[in-house]
Amino acid sequence: MVNLTIDGKQITVPKNATIYEAARDNGIHIPVLCYAKKLLPYGACRICLVEVEQMKGRLIPSCTTPVTEGMVVTTTSEEIVKVRKTVLEFLLVNHVIDCPVCDKGGECDLQDLTYEYEVVTNRFEGEKFDLPTDEVNPLIERNMNRCVLCGKCVRVCDEVVGYGSYSFINRGFETKIATAFDRGLHCEFCGQCVSMCPVGALLPRPFKFKARPWQLNEVDTVCGYCGNGCTVTLGILDKKVETIRFNDKIGVNDGNLCIRGRFGYSYVNSDDRLTKPLVRKGNQLVETEWDEALQVVADGLKKAQDGKGAGILSGARLTNEEMFLLKNLAKTLGTGNLDHSGGECYKGVTEGLLETLGVQASTGTFPQIENTDVVLAIRNDFYDTHPVVGMVINQAVRRNNAQLLVVSGKGGKLSKLPRAKTLLSGPGLELDVLNGLCQVLLEEGLAKTDGLEGLVALKQSLAEFTADKVATKTGVDADALREAARQLAGAGNAAIMLAYGLPYTPLSKELAVAAANLSLLTGIAGREGSGIYLCGEKANSQGAIDLGLLPAADGLGAQAMLDAAAGGKLDALYVVGEDPVASFPDRDKVEKALEQVPFLVVQDLFLSSTAAKANVVLPAASFAEKDGTFTNAERRIQRVRAGVPSPGEAKTDGEIIAALDAQLGGSLAFTGPEAIFAEIGKDVPAYAVNYTEIGPQGVVWGGEILQPVARKLGEAVAAPMVEGAYRLVTGSALHHSGTTSTHAKGPLAVVPEPFVEMSRADAATLGVKEGDLVKVAGNGVELKLKAKVDLRMPQGVLFAPYHFKESGVNRMFKTESVISVTISK
Amino acid sequence: MFLAIAKGLSITFKHVFPGNSTTVQYPAVKLTPSDRFRGLHRLVPEQDREKCVACYLCPTVCPAKCITVESAENEKGEKYPKVYTIDLLRCIFCGYCVEACPVEAIEMTDAYELANFNREDFEFTKERLLK
Ligand code: SF4
Ligand code: SF4
Ligand code: SF4
Ligand code: SF4
Ligand code: SF4
Ligand code: FES
Repeated sequence: MVNLTIDGKQITVPKNATIYEAARDNGIHIPVLCYAKKLLPYGACRICLVEVEQMKGRLIPSCTTPVTEGMVVTTTSEEIVKVRKTVLEFLLVNHVIDCPVCDKGGECDLQDLTYEYEVVTNRFEGEKFDLPTDEVNPLIERNMNRCVLCGKCVRVCDEVVGYGSYSFINRGFETKIATAFDRGLHCEFCGQCVSMCPVGALLPRPFKFKARPWQLNEVDTVCGYCGNGCTVTLGILDKKVETIRFNDKIGVNDGNLCIRGRFGYSYVNSDDRLTKPLVRKGNQLVETEWDEALQVVADGLKKAQDGKGAGILSGARLTNEEMFLLKNLAKTLGTGNLDHSGGECYKGVTEGLLETLGVQASTGTFPQIENTDVVLAIRNDFYDTHPVVGMVINQAVRRNNAQLLVVSGKGGKLSKLPRAKTLLSGPGLELDVLNGLCQVLLEEGLAKTDGLEGLVALKQSLAEFTADKVATKTGVDADALREAARQLAGAGNAAIMLAYGLPYTPLSKELAVAAANLSLLTGIAGREGSGIYLCGEKANSQGAIDLGLLPAADGLGAQAMLDAAAGGKLDALYVVGEDPVASFPDRDKVEKALEQVPFLVVQDLFLSSTAAKANVVLPAASFAEKDGTFTNAERRIQRVRAGVPSPGEAKTDGEIIAALDAQLGGSLAFTGPEAIFAEIGKDVPAYAVNYTEIGPQGVVWGGEILQPVARKLGEAVAAPMVEGAYRLVTGSALHHSGTTSTHAKGPLAVVPEPFVEMSRADAATLGVKEGDLVKVAGNGVELKLKAKVDLRMPQGVLFAPYHFKESGVNRMFKTESVISVTISK
Repeated sequence: MFLAIAKGLSITFKHVFPGNSTTVQYPAVKLTPSDRFRGLHRLVPEQDREKCVACYLCPTVCPAKCITVESAENEKGEKYPKVYTIDLLRCIFCGYCVEACPVEAIEMTDAYELANFNREDFEFTKERLLK
């Protein structure tokens, strides 16, 4: 700690604080323009100049100067004010005074400072900038005439996002921020630069001219897309979500978002939303009243339950409270056939982790990742499924020199980070590489084997996974594999990252076991500051597991229900918040199941391809329309808050489920999220938290480090080898999450349609250009997809994301993670 | 004292005689208000559009909250008021809107004959205000 005096006030601050931070934390105001909490000190704008007794003769930038013992600082004096005024005058020489038409007006740092320092005239004259605005990209309006060259966009895109879109070009008065070759923005569109820009040089295009900042109502809630659980602040005008506001005060994401969270809100306002219940009459779905619809559903479910049985299939974007109600509805109905999302995809957690570590969740929290020495990411897709955790990894790498190891069948964002080492395996063979790492640890005596069960069996099963054998099978360099294992073993703190979700269904349990083995052998599991992270794809995947939205002992899981339905052994299916036709593996089976099942109820926001087959469709509310809690992939329970009313007669899933339960003669009541949450606490001890005490950072159940309750190594198994000139894998694309984002304009503006990604070499051999329609055939199915050509795909490997229902990728993928395909023009 | 009363009365008498009265025979005769008179608003037109750029300062400053602005983007990518309406029944003719406007797009005319029969007729839309 360091003692110093600022404006006559004695203060004590940590020794790595800057003068600005010391002042800010003690309630002393120093103006800043180029400073940002989450970026490294930069010192570009000189608005924060102060006087320091010990450095007389010049003014000192407070945002870059560290405090020293006994420092005496003055933050305002006549001279300081004069200099700050002059700095502003300089900035305003070329700055176009666009305030009346600039959307930043009202929350612009330059405007506020000009007002604060009463800069009403300018002693300097100069030409106003007249640069073209960037009209190329769909989401970010770049107007460099308003730029004050603070460099925040450059820095955030590099330091936090790790993309590096921008740089300063030219010199002197000509200096400006440009993208590569000044061709306009073409990036991840995470919008971090927009949130950082202190002026109106970078603005969200979908919000252009929509409103003034002071007109917006702000509601803090949690992003409804992925399991990262970012805090999003809805900007609401006239009961409509018009934008997402920057908020780095609360939540786990430090104000960072990805394109889905930042620009993917528009589905909430979509005209395609369902507004009234629909009941099938004859061949038509016709609008009806809630009473009738609920009656039909209750009768249908009851009849089915008396017959061959009913099943309930849920998505993982319901709130904890709604899942709790749904679970109880299953009890009222008397069925154990209850499951969520896919039924296989989360087996990594519920079976893999449970068998090895005895827990069903990630063992660490996200902020800890930033301070690890080694991060092992399984699949490059981890960035695409959980972009904001990816940004934390980037910060660990860039700021704290962590070593990033990537085990993946294809390249990607993570592989491009500084010093990242990619163990590039053949497609779908990541499992073997993980086993190889375990084998090296044991072979070289690096493993911490004390107190581990199942060591002998593991050793036996690992005989097939020596570095050389793994190298031959997967194509990973044997020495690189050994080196990676040594780095993992030698790390003080390390993190193992694995995502699970609908496109990653095959081998999910096996992968989790291998990752858990690795975490046990390296001692990562349960060690302070380290952790194994199994991250669910959807906003409340973890909640679904915690609450046990899973088949009862004698009940059917998702796949079993679909099998039963397809075989005519199930009489009703109630699908809540999921579109299995579009997203589950093996579409043919799903379609058959949904056609065969005599009574199908779908509860959704849209008339999805699943809903189109239903007997009754119930209109549900989106995340922006309900209160409750989500649990993110690091076990953080966070409050979801309603910002807007539901369209038409749509109701929250919780209300619908409770009403349905009443029709079925149950005793559930929709008593509001707080009361229901209290009920959950009685059932699930980890959730015995006071609802009102869930603060801005949420509550992490189990604490920062979740100690494994078991330390049992699982046996190593090999991934099946798929041969072929072209091998297709599926997964998530960065700009989308599940199928919901395909209703949102932002993500669609960047990635509007399905595609198949291939290497340049393959494109050249096939004579295919970017955007050409190609035929991909395999597994007895032929798909027509647009080609996307880039550098990240290894030769012979193709990638097709699963989000788009029209792509039919899930027709091809049934239970396999890799398919041998042929491809032609 | 009497002197003071006499002086006062003399002024009164002066105005009693024809030609010295300040009362005019409205509506046959109409006065020209002062330049600073705050009457009906007018949106200043420009060549092909209104001058107003929909900055929302006037609705923000208006104490009677009687101005409705809705901004939008025109074909040229400029910001313009898709909707601009003043509810004259609520307006208190304070002139703050004129003072707030950064581009001098709204002014107050000398029109003071604003009585009407229907409530809707007091809704001054953009088209009416541009006249
Ligand atoms: S949107 Fe994100 S990736 Fe694109 S330039 Fe801005 S910060 Fe970088
Ligand atoms: S565009 Fe904005 S954030 Fe980037 S340098 Fe200019 S003012 Fe700063
Ligand atoms: S989709 Fe995930 S990473 Fe992106 S903003 Fe939402 S929670 Fe964060
Ligand atoms: S004159 Fe005053 S009350 Fe009337 S519209 Fe203008 S600001 Fe509002
Ligand atoms: S203040 Fe002027 S430019 Fe702004 S909305 Fe009102 S009339 Fe239009
Ligand atoms: S805020 Fe310190 S130099 Fe810009």
